[in-house]
Amino acid sequence: MHLTEDQLNEYLDNEIADRAQIESHLSSCEECAARLAILRNLFAEIESLPDVAVSRDLGSPFKQQSSLPVPQLPGWLTLTATLQAALAAIVLVSAAPLVIQLITPYVSSVQIPSFADVLMQLQSQWTAWLDLFSQLQILAVPEIPVIELSSMAIVLTLVGVSTLWIIGNGLLLRNQNNTSH
Amino acid sequence: MTAPTDRDLILRARRGDAEAYGELVTRYQTSIFNVCYRILHERGEAEDLAQESFIRAYDRINTFDIEREFGPWIRRVAANVCLNHLESQPKSVELNDERDAGESQRPEAVMEVHERSEHIRRALASLPPQYRLVIELRHYQELSYDEIAGELDIPLSDVKSHLFRARKLLAEKIHASD
Repeated sequence: MHLTEDQLNEYLDNEIADRAQIESHLSSCEECAARLAILRNLFAEIESLPDVAVSRDLGSPFKQQSSLPVPQLPGWLTLTATLQAALAAIVLVSAAPLVIQLITPYVSSVQIPSFADVLMQLQSQWTAWLDLFSQLQILAVPEIPVIELSSMAIVLTLVGVSTLWIIGNGLLLRNQNNTSH
Repeated sequence: MTAPTDRDLILRARRGDAEAYGELVTRYQTSIFNVCYRILHERGEAEDLAQESFIRAYDRINTFDIEREFGPWIRRVAANVCLNHLESQPKSVELNDERDAGESQRPEAVMEVHERSEHIRRALASLPPQYRLVIELRHYQELSYDEIAGELDIPLSDVKSHLFRARKLLAEKIHASD
């Protein structure tokens, strides 16, 4: 069974996975080795074409101008990024009153503990951990906590996603600006 | 004073600096002209399309990744410009031998090499446009099958069939008169 033309082409193009198998066949089949040599010769002929000099300076029409119109970003990219940023900004602004309403009770009820309280809490926590380790015998399978989505969590997620979206678009545009300056 | 790098010239060109872009064009014109000449095999047309390639490239220069090399990118732009040009032309007729026959006042040995090159160029130019493109992208721009498929927006199987048939046709045409 001889190698196909496709196999010989792919072999010379370095696009074949099992080169060892092809080489093994070529070493024992004179006919395929001869066909490969002919194809290799064709490759060499194609690639032997010398470069030809250009008859005029193609750069001079550009050099003769005082300046060129500054190329713009593709319209679709600018439009998409602008729409995304605008949409995210609307979500942020719409969610702001709700966020403030939800956070206010928590913020106002927060009491800053004294240094002595913090130390005492740390000490009792440490004791609790030591008790826990002393009783530890078999690793218990931890329970998977069930996450209940409150309206606050949803709002915070929305705000977070929107912020990331704006930052992402900002970085994208900044990158484009950097490359164009 | 050292010559500005391609990167410097591109950054200046992006701000509309005509001198910088002109310098970049001068730097790559031979390479780009030869892409067009291999595909078209007609000097005047190849120079016009090389110029067109540089204009097209300038319009898209903001999409060029500054961290990459400019040469391979502009050569691919030129190959696509040539393909669009060929596809917009009425069905091409078989090229006659007078097309760009070149100078005849040359020493014998040089003439022989020149004639051989012309023979290969004529064979190349007689292939269908897509076949010429895959030969250009594979043999002269050294793109992989996958890269060619991406560049021409055709399936991998078409890249292989175009390339293998193109080589078969080329071999027949090149060796027909041997």
